[in-house]
Amino acid sequence: MKIWLLAGCLLFCTMKVSAQDADNETTQAGYVPVISGAVGYVDSINGGTSTLLPAIDPVLLIPIGSHVLGEARGEFTGVFSRRNGNGDYTGQVFSELDYAQIDWLADTHAMVVGGKFILPYGLVTERLDPIWIDTFQNLPLTYSAGTQTTGFGVGGELRGVATQNDKFSVQYSAYYSAHSNASQFGSAHATGFDASVYFPTQRFEVGTSYQRFMDDPRHINNEAVYISWQPTHLPLDVKGEYDQSYYGLGYWIQAGYMLSQVPVANSFFKNVEIAGRMQQSFPDHGGGHGVPGTQTERPGVALNYYIRDNWRIISSYERSFTSAKDANLWNIGFTYRFVWPLWPGRK
Amino acid sequence: MTNRRSPYRIAFFVATVATCVWLSGMKLYAGAQTNTEQKPPAPAVRNSGQKNGEEVFMQNCSRCHKPPMTISPRVTGTVVMHMRVRAKLSRQDEEALLRYLAP
Repeated sequence: MKIWLLAGCLLFCTMKVSAQDADNETTQAGYVPVISGAVGYVDSINGGTSTLLPAIDPVLLIPIGSHVLGEARGEFTGVFSRRNGNGDYTGQVFSELDYAQIDWLADTHAMVVGGKFILPYGLVTERLDPIWIDTFQNLPLTYSAGTQTTGFGVGGELRGVATQNDKFSVQYSAYYSAHSNASQFGSAHATGFDASVYFPTQRFEVGTSYQRFMDDPRHINNEAVYISWQPTHLPLDVKGEYDQSYYGLGYWIQAGYMLSQVPVANSFFKNVEIAGRMQQSFPDHGGGHGVPGTQTERPGVALNYYIRDNWRIISSYERSFTSAKDANLWNIGFTYRFVWPLWPGRK
Repeated sequence: MTNRRSPYRIAFFVATVATCVWLSGMKLYAGAQTNTEQKPPAPAVRNSGQKNGEEVFMQNCSRCHKPPMTISPRVTGTVVMHMRVRAKLSRQDEEALLRYLAP
């Protein structure tokens, strides 16, 4: 009997949440629970070793009215490689709760986030990391500089727009994360902030991130400076980031260009993106903790084809130069993004 | 007499709820697909003091990813809330986006 009561309560609550459908007074926008996310499949070849990487990253969004949002993202990634290098493919599927947070859209300038959240550091963690977004499937060499130990924090975050006008906007986020070893809620004791200035007319952004990582025996500081530019007259996307930590420093810069200006076979070429990326990392104090232990240079190119705006075929090649061993890194696969309502709305 | 709950009852209940959710989801998805056959609507008329939703859409979405060509009005409010948090948009930007995507 109890289970029926519990189920009834759950369904009632879900219906109440869905029934919010609190359309804005002046729009037809619906507020229903949504399941979003991405599916991807990548064949990654690193130094001659092939690894198959299927992935499903669902995102659950549950609005409570139009000012509170519950959201969570899971990550199910398979890692399959040949047994003994040339045998059958074998491996396992890893599942992880990326984040589970409650967002309170308190004010035009401030939003309050509580729960397990993505550490806001640089361009990649919050913005380019999803598999359906990133131009290159391999993360930058210095990605882990500000994302120790899991890339996620458990605690609270304040974020929003400090000031905004027609010429620029200043965006910020500041957070505190406690140390946690709880299953699916692992995080490090850390605090930090991210701030950026965006010039909408030029579509140019410059920002910086700072993190004080307090789980290490010595408290270490991590810093990043980044830029992002999408010129209005060219289908170009330029991004770059410089990272520095106690264990090393490095940078990456990439440019992606949609071939929409090619005069012949435009219906085909307008969906083709070519990109180049250069990155270097230099270890300090022995490196490690996510920073390569040896000096590494890694130039690369990518070629992506957008079948639709949410469905693309991806490929990339990078050459990794280190004092120990040089290696080729190949990736080929596809990504698909989906957005589905979970409950009927009034519209 | 022992009042034992059959595990099959629980399994049957869970399967029934899952099937209902799945079927309603499919129905909604089909509806959403029908709704999303159209391109985003023409930009809403800019009123005095209001931001142009198309500008906000093009300026902010493309900072991170290829802007979506279609979005169902049914999910617009939820998705825009999510993107306001993720992209750190102001309330004015959120309202402009809602007027543009679901006028």
